[in-house]
Amino acid sequence: MATLKAIRRRITSVKSTQQVTRAMKLVSAAKLRRAQDALLNDRPYAESLSKLAGSLLAGQTMEPPPGAQHAGLITVITSDRGLCGGYNANLLRHAEEQADGMRKEGIEPVFFAVGRKAVEHFKRTGGRMVGQRINNTPRLATLELATSLADMMLNEFRAGQYQQTAVIYSQFRSALSQRPTYERILPVEAGTQTAEGVAGPSEYLIEPSRAELLPVIIQSYVESAVFHALLEAEASEHAARMTAMDSASNNAADMIARLTLEMNRARQAGITRELMDIVGGAEALSA
Amino acid sequence: MADAALPFKLITPTGVVFDGAVAEVTAVNPLGEFGVLPQHINYLTSLVPCVVAVKLEDSSYRLFVVSGGLAEVKDGVMTVLASTAEPAETLSDGEALSKGVVAAEEQLHNLSFYEPGYPSALKAVQLARARQRAREARSAAR
Repeated sequence: MATLKAIRRRITSVKSTQQVTRAMKLVSAAKLRRAQDALLNDRPYAESLSKLAGSLLAGQTMEPPPGAQHAGLITVITSDRGLCGGYNANLLRHAEEQADGMRKEGIEPVFFAVGRKAVEHFKRTGGRMVGQRINNTPRLATLELATSLADMMLNEFRAGQYQQTAVIYSQFRSALSQRPTYERILPVEAGTQTAEGVAGPSEYLIEPSRAELLPVIIQSYVESAVFHALLEAEASEHAARMTAMDSASNNAADMIARLTLEMNRARQAGITRELMDIVGGAEALSA
Repeated sequence: MADAALPFKLITPTGVVFDGAVAEVTAVNPLGEFGVLPQHINYLTSLVPCVVAVKLEDSSYRLFVVSGGLAEVKDGVMTVLASTAEPAETLSDGEALSKGVVAAEEQLHNLSFYEPGYPSALKAVQLARARQRAREARSAAR
């Protein structure tokens, strides 16, 4: 049995760990709320834009440029920091699965890693990484990051580097559930956006011209899709961390309860032992 | 229908900036400035970085600096989708804005038309000028 002193020391250590996990949980909860608000604020924009893109792109298919290389770009969005349960592991597993699927279709998967965890993963596994981005800013979902990713995708897609580009991010479903999601960004799929009652392109007076407007719309659409993925990822990360830290705090509480019990037992055992000694000594004297 | 109003929405990825009935909206597309009055025909255009001037029904103006985007009129409802929109009231003071214009112009000067950074540098100049214009219009209105 551990000595009383050792148990006391462990209790102190678990308590300070618990303080840290509790604080992290609170911080994540606050950040989650902010991220959720941002997600909600983006909705009107994303919806209007996809309606607009749907009506303009209706019936059109966007093809990769002729002679495009048989490669596909997968942008994997993970977090920079750990302590968020299985969040990054799930994402990276999903990324590898999608990459295997691509290989079966004869397309070489190429990765763009967003977040330190993805960068480390692909360095370790030796996946072909064409770019990386470690954020170091308090917010992951910034327009600046979305724009630079979208520009990169569009330029390299147009240059014929890739057959397709996609993002893998964690979809925020609730504070308790986040699901890794694979979303194809380019070529833009017009079919998925055409909803009932959408006006055809002929119903608009278009300036300067349809041909000139199309790239602008596609650019905005891609930016918006990437931004949305970043927002979802940010909310998911905080939700995952909050859940992980909540259970860590609970585990710490359990451990403290168990150790306290053990400590009391050890103390009692010590007292009993001393009493026995005294009684034994007294008996020896009186005998 | 002289009393008809134009329902107008200005939406950015970070939220709805303006939503209400207005008398007129003016903005700038690649061909130049255009205005939209109530009952406009269905219309679709892109915006360059510019000042979106919203004339309210009491003839007062609200100005927004947008960094480019799309404008749509559909069934008499106008929607502007902009990547960013700053209300003129939140702009910093005039001196900082003119410095911004100078810096942006300098960057543009150092680039040739064929360099990949040219379009974004051009946009930056347009945006800086639009900010300055909005700021001037605001102080003139006072």
